[in-house]
Amino acid sequence: MIPSWQNYNKIMNKYKFKDLRVGMYEEFKITINPEMLKDFRSVTYDVNPLHNNDKYAQSKGYPGRVVYGMLTASFLSTLAGVYIPGEHSLIQQVETKFVNPVFIGDQLTVRGEVTELFESVQRLTLKVTITNQDDVKVLRGKMDILVV
Amino acid sequence: MTREQVFKDLTEIFWDVFDDEDIVLTDATTADDIEDWDSLEQINLVVACEKKFNIKFDMKEIQNLKNVGEMVDTILAKL
Repeated sequence: MIPSWQNYNKIMNKYKFKDLRVGMYEEFKITINPEMLKDFRSVTYDVNPLHNNDKYAQSKGYPGRVVYGMLTASFLSTLAGVYIPGEHSLIQQVETKFVNPVFIGDQLTVRGEVTELFESVQRLTLKVTITNQDDVKVLRGKMDILVV
Repeated sequence: MTREQVFKDLTEIFWDVFDDEDIVLTDATTADDIEDWDSLEQINLVVACEKKFNIKFDMKEIQNLKNVGEMVDTILAKL
């Protein structure tokens, strides 16, 4: 269920820079459903058949259509904006590698761990990983986030 | 560490941050001289300097920096 943004206070973390420590982490789980791909296509107009046509994806050797990598990566926005640091987050830059494919029905665990803190500019660096239900990494990367 | 060495290391930081080895720094170089030197890259420069020289700036110092020469002198004073 999509949380109502008006009720964000109930779910959102509000870490200030002084609350953060190297090694702290937050994580959440999300299951990919077909509606998400449809909504992503509506927003981006990415109609590539690998993401939209099961037969096409199977002809390329996949069991079904492949979830957009950028849809998977979009959960990094939630990680920073809701979980760590949460409300006071301003994402500055993101590096990601899509290391394995994601499919509809996959349950993903999105995790971010603080690896560096720069007090002078109030910025943290998160090591980010997304793994599937088989504990296989599907995305790994790094985020630089200001605490504003 | 000499001023020349700091200048050389800072130049390499600029090359890395802006992905441009044609950048030539002088004491008078400012953000107006480098096309992509915006607020984001300013933060990236500060972070890269803190890591390279193992120093910490404070916010006021960063806000008061007028050019590369002042950046070099601020770094030197912390070594």
